[in-house]
Amino acid sequence: MNRLTIVLAVIMPVLLNAQNVLIKNGTVLTITKGVKENSDILVTNGKIARIDKNISAPNGTSIIDATGMFVMPGIIDAHSHIALDVVNEATNPVTAEVNVGDALDPLDVSIYRALAGGVTATHAMHGSANAVGGQCETIKLRYGTVNPDELRMEGAPRTIKFALGENPIRVHGEGNKIMPNTRMGVEQVFRNAFSEAQLYMKDWDDYKKGLRKSSPEYNLRNETMADILKGNIIIHCHSYRADEILMLMRVLKDYNINRICFQHVNEGFKVAPELAAFGAGASVFADWWAYKFEVYYSTAYNAAILTRNGVVTSINSDSEELIRHLYHEAAKTQRYGDLTDDEALALITINPAKQLGIDKRVGSLEVGKDADIAIFKGHPLSVYAVPQKTLVDGQVRFDIEKDPDDTRIDINPNEKYSTFYETERNYENSGCLRGISEMLMQESYAKFMRFKYSQNHTH
Amino acid sequence: MYTNPFRVLSCLIFLVSISSASLSGQNSDSPKQLSRTFYLKNCFVIPQPGSLLSGQNVIIKDGFISEIGTAVKIPFDAQIVLADSLYVYAGFIDAHSNTGIAKPENKDRAKVQDPGNPPNDVAGITPQISGSDLFKSLDKSVADMRSAGFAIAQVAPRGLMLPGQNSIFLLGEGANDKMLLKSNTSQNFQLEANRGVYPSTSIAILAKFRDLYKNANITGLHEEKFKLNPAGLSRPDYNKELMSMYPVTIKKMPLYFVASRTKDVHKALSLKDELGFDMVLTEVKQGWHYLDRIKKSSIPVLLSLELPEEDKKDTKKEGDAPEKKDSTATKDVKKVVKEEKNPEKDGFDQKKEASIKQYLEQAGLFEKQGVKFGFSYMTVKPADIRKNLRKLIQNGLSENYALAALTTHPAQILGISHLAGTVEKGKIANLVITDKPYFDEKATIKYVFVDGQKYEFTEKTKKTENKPSESGKMVGSWSYTVEIPGSTQKGKIIIKKASGEYKVTVVDDSAPSEEDSASDVIVDGKKITFNITTDMGAPVKVDFDLNFEDKSYTGSISVGQFGSFPIKGDYEGDPKY
Repeated sequence: MNRLTIVLAVIMPVLLNAQNVLIKNGTVLTITKGVKENSDILVTNGKIARIDKNISAPNGTSIIDATGMFVMPGIIDAHSHIALDVVNEATNPVTAEVNVGDALDPLDVSIYRALAGGVTATHAMHGSANAVGGQCETIKLRYGTVNPDELRMEGAPRTIKFALGENPIRVHGEGNKIMPNTRMGVEQVFRNAFSEAQLYMKDWDDYKKGLRKSSPEYNLRNETMADILKGNIIIHCHSYRADEILMLMRVLKDYNINRICFQHVNEGFKVAPELAAFGAGASVFADWWAYKFEVYYSTAYNAAILTRNGVVTSINSDSEELIRHLYHEAAKTQRYGDLTDDEALALITINPAKQLGIDKRVGSLEVGKDADIAIFKGHPLSVYAVPQKTLVDGQVRFDIEKDPDDTRIDINPNEKYSTFYETERNYENSGCLRGISEMLMQESYAKFMRFKYSQNHTH
Repeated sequence: MYTNPFRVLSCLIFLVSISSASLSGQNSDSPKQLSRTFYLKNCFVIPQPGSLLSGQNVIIKDGFISEIGTAVKIPFDAQIVLADSLYVYAGFIDAHSNTGIAKPENKDRAKVQDPGNPPNDVAGITPQISGSDLFKSLDKSVADMRSAGFAIAQVAPRGLMLPGQNSIFLLGEGANDKMLLKSNTSQNFQLEANRGVYPSTSIAILAKFRDLYKNANITGLHEEKFKLNPAGLSRPDYNKELMSMYPVTIKKMPLYFVASRTKDVHKALSLKDELGFDMVLTEVKQGWHYLDRIKKSSIPVLLSLELPEEDKKDTKKEGDAPEKKDSTATKDVKKVVKEEKNPEKDGFDQKKEASIKQYLEQAGLFEKQGVKFGFSYMTVKPADIRKNLRKLIQNGLSENYALAALTTHPAQILGISHLAGTVEKGKIANLVITDKPYFDEKATIKYVFVDGQKYEFTEKTKKTENKPSESGKMVGSWSYTVEIPGSTQKGKIIIKKASGEYKVTVVDDSAPSEEDSASDVIVDGKKITFNITTDMGAPVKVDFDLNFEDKSYTGSISVGQFGSFPIKGDYEGDPKY
């Protein structure tokens, strides 16, 4: 292969700007409008133009034969950390001002791997080290671009990460001996941050009304907290225990905030009616728990119980591995809870779209929506399902047959290792700091490891 | 415990990260001169990129170029410089580097009560610091850049996120203040964090910057208002950080944004669009994705002259080992081995080669698009500058543009075109004088003039003194002692000579059974250089540079990017063959 071929192979998905596509003769799982057998989907300019039988292809339309295949809306992951260079700014209990949108990584090969699992959009989130973490970014998996801006889902509402329980307590209370050192402290951190933002808003209002002559100090942290108070930002809160979930809902009521989706929410099944009454969403794991003390009281029936109680529920990955088979995760709710096909698939399509405020554009196959489409061999809720093609805005970004083996976009000229696992292995063992840090960093070592832990650990 | 002694060594160095100047000396001299008038006779003058005048005589007087021409009178007090058929260029301009700024001593990380709210200096927010207060004209880095042909540098303080303000210096040996051409010319910004305290990540650095920027503007405007009429206003708080940033917010001072890789360049361009300051992109290594955007907004660019190393094709790699073992086997077996080659690795190697090529072609690409760029020298070693420029030229950059990027372009970017960048009457007498055209493979720099002061460079004598009797003394077993801050490393260096070739092995006392064989052994008179490569996660080259006396030697070792350290040792006996 000469150099040109390599370059072409890398940028192929971009060059194949075939936004007019006809997907022929598949079993169309619309999610919101039932199942349509032997139907076609016509995509023009990146949007779904028609869903019908026997559509004839206009000139210049590329045709995908989906005979015998299942066509569903692209999967949406409401909790992910792929495509990010930075996940945690773990130095302060409140970091509302930071924004992971500033650290998007379009070169992350995990994006491609997620596409290979039928995923077309993710919620790229800040980590859970802080009570108020950073702002998150809803992205479309337009793998092939080098420009971080092209990942952003333009027009998606702003979101921010909150966290309850052990993570903020461990990082700040135990790590730095500052508040929060208890679950009560976490509540107080929220109340302080919101109250401070209210005072801040008043100062600026006074200045704008001419009631004070000198300009107040600008504070991006308070600006962001104020935007939450104004209802301009959806809260996505890392949570496990029922008592804490109720606590945060009480806090939000006191400050008149109502846009929230709880993440993980393993004990959500205990407070499902309360969540439904508040209008809070719940984004859960299918069956993942017991990785720390506060996550023991859990059940695989969580998603089904929440769904049947009228909570808008989704299943997320929080992992670059799980994200590749979210359709399996959704299928588990049929074993544990007997959800219908539509209910189960809604957990990874229209429901996460609602939680992110993007359900008018994605999450189901309907005329006028974005052509984010996943094509499967085998029903996506079957254990034999294999994704074949994934389209984002009508562009094929994953094709099981045509894609080259190595789809990495950017090779660091100093890279030593040819494969991902080699890089990982050597990263783990990178002898230098590891061996010596214990010897020389001694007391700061424990702190260092904790810091490292908080950087990597996010669920 | 540790199999490789230099791994421990390197790690120690990494941790304390103390730098010390390399011991390899510079061959310039600058005797006190009686007269500041010079006469360069019958030389080729390249007044600016793209033109060449032959048979020129140049007169330098009181630090300025006073005359150039074919028929000029020799002033009575002139020192005549033997410049016959030499090439005279404008002294090069280093648009951005840390030249003359000592690396700070690594202090223990300050203990901070609340890591979320550290003092500004701990957080790396020191925009009030001025490079003009830190520059040392006698720092080795100044001599290194001067011997590479540089007469002017815009120097940045070292530091983190907002390390301080740049100042422009002449790279002569005069008193620090006398070498200052222009102080506080621009402000620096980089995505460098003090780990463990706020802001500790790029996202927090950007958030903090936005905060500081807005408040600098508020504070600056408030102070101006207060000066005009204080009535009803609160007395402005004095805040040195914000007041130093204020000129950036009103476009009175450009912001130098260190942006090496593609995502950094994107961050820089986005932040500029968001806040609207004047920006210079610096240390750009991978900026070609945003060439159009850079061109459209006419953002000045400084490309890093540090280039990726190309893989040597003939080096034996791990994957080749089985093949090597079978080299004595029949040809058939060899074929089988070849077919088993790792296609994944081959594919990767091709991609990597293509990637390196893109880095090397960037400068040529920028030229074709008509983007005027200079270079920055934060990371490149001065000794690599000409070699790397030649690499860029081989990959599509024209010589004229390369010269412009060394002279006229940085002069424009720094706003000193009226003073420097060309060889013209009235400009500061900054000159580089070479024996062949500068980009010729065999060219060497004979003289550099800085501010009318002559620095002469004698060619390294490679052929002389290479008598067997002299270098024969190197053969033997030698002890060594390396002083690393906080530790001393001891061991043996064994030098053997067989059929005219030197073989060197290094054994550290901490692992007496492990021998490291040296490569690239070069003996030059009483001097020997060689290197060993040690694996500490990534391979790190340790360069040795030793000068032998009768029964002892002194010298330096340099360990990858971690700096260089003194080494010394004594003769212990004959090597065991």
